Amino acid sequence: MASATDAVSTLMVQKFGVDPAAVRPESPLYALRMDSLALEELRILIEEQLRIDLEDAALTSRNTVGELVALVHEKLVHTGSLG
Amino acid sequence: MTRPAIPPFTAAVTGLGLVTAAGVGVDETWRNVTRGEVRPASVGAREELRDLPCDFMYAVPAEDLDTARVLGVATQRLMDRFAQLAVLAAREAVADAGLDPRVWDSGRVAVVIGSAHGGLPFYDEQHTALTTKGPRRVSPKLAPLTVVNSAASSVCMDLGARGPSQAVSTACSSGTVAIGAAHQMLRTGACDIVVAGGAESVCSRLLIASACQMRAVSTRRYDPAAACRPFDADRDGFVVGEGSGLLVMERPEHARARGARIRAHIAGYGASSDSYSAVAPDPEGKGIESALRTALTDAGVAPSDIGHVNAHGTSTVFNDLIEATMLHRLLGADPLVTSTKAMTGHTLGAAGGIETALTVLALEHQLVPPTANLDALDPRIPVEVVAKAARPAAFDCAVKTSLGFGGHNAALVLTRG
Repeated sequence: MASATDAVSTLMVQKFGVDPAAVRPESPLYALRMDSLALEELRILIEEQLRIDLEDAALTSRNTVGELVALVHEKLVHTGSLG
Repeated sequence: MTRPAIPPFTAAVTGLGLVTAAGVGVDETWRNVTRGEVRPASVGAREELRDLPCDFMYAVPAEDLDTARVLGVATQRLMDRFAQLAVLAAREAVADAGLDPRVWDSGRVAVVIGSAHGGLPFYDEQHTALTTKGPRRVSPKLAPLTVVNSAASSVCMDLGARGPSQAVSTACSSGTVAIGAAHQMLRTGACDIVVAGGAESVCSRLLIASACQMRAVSTRRYDPAAACRPFDADRDGFVVGEGSGLLVMERPEHARARGARIRAHIAGYGASSDSYSAVAPDPEGKGIESALRTALTDAGVAPSDIGHVNAHGTSTVFNDLIEATMLHRLLGADPLVTSTKAMTGHTLGAAGGIETALTVLALEHQLVPPTANLDALDPRIPVEVVAKAARPAAFDCAVKTSLGFGGHNAALVLTRG
């Protein structure tokens, strides 16, 4: 989970200006001002950085940070990017 | 049929905002523009333009402005650079006007910002992503960031302005037409306050490569700081610049009622179309002459009242000759003419906004900035062009002229506050 957590929180802080202290697993994405446009942008950045495909991942700003991280982690495992 | 008689209308200019290669902020820009020496940091070669016949442009020096720090990442990510510069200029202009967006009647505040190319650099970048990485790597922000109106919408969002807003796009006269449109909106009572002017930032390899093919830009690569030389015998084309210049304009009774300092007035506006060529101005300058005549009539002033002209003066062979010949024909040889583009570069759609702000400052200070790099006046230029040093002068009326590709002409008459 660690690499997924790191990637998601680092991107949200650096590329979207989210307050690092606010990035908690239970935070809904909309509360971090990650609206639908921001989420689509984040999807591309995560795909590019972690070399995974999130095209079919259902994601809305009502999801929490924890749910997003779990989804990314699952894809990483599935893609075999994790050892 | 006679034309309808329109009562004269004078808009109060109560605030200015400038972000240019000549300086970040009104004071810094004016100080450098009146000094008339091109700052080496303001113009130079860019990596994006490598190996092009014109590989340089004017830009706000990075050491003068860190947009990520000033705007914050969350705000900055929703704007291409031209909109970022507009937001910064708007903040300065509104503060200068003594307006507090927390308490103003936001539905009566309008925003009109001109731009020729909008978010072209982001277009360019995303097209590269499309061709090199495929459609799944293209940003979802292409439309919101690249539309020409995104400077206006970004300023509305940043300030909390909820009146009418729009972009004006008439190529290199966009900023001047935006101020003219704002003048008309105030005149009709559509709003009490308008933030108006222009914004542009196009460090785009695609655009400059095309401008080189058109042979419109200077190719003085060995000396970029001397390349933009309006009215000079040795001029060889314009040099692109980035920046934003915005005015806060108000209905005069609104400005008076709140005790605002009136820096100058926009007293008249005229616009016309050449109906001649996609790029070249009418060879006799008939279009820009018509726009200027309309503006003078609108302001109710005579040609002999004009003491200063901030000219379009792009440093192309034809623009400067045609424009100066027209100015002489209409205004005579007396007005002190200048082009401030050698200090800012040709900021395309932002030029009219920046240069109208500089004209307001010239009226206030009773000082005409020099045309930098003007060493030897082209002998065919029949007007008095201020060179070398800023010239103090007494004048109550000044003119700003702009010409845009496509034959879009615009002129403003400004009077002292």
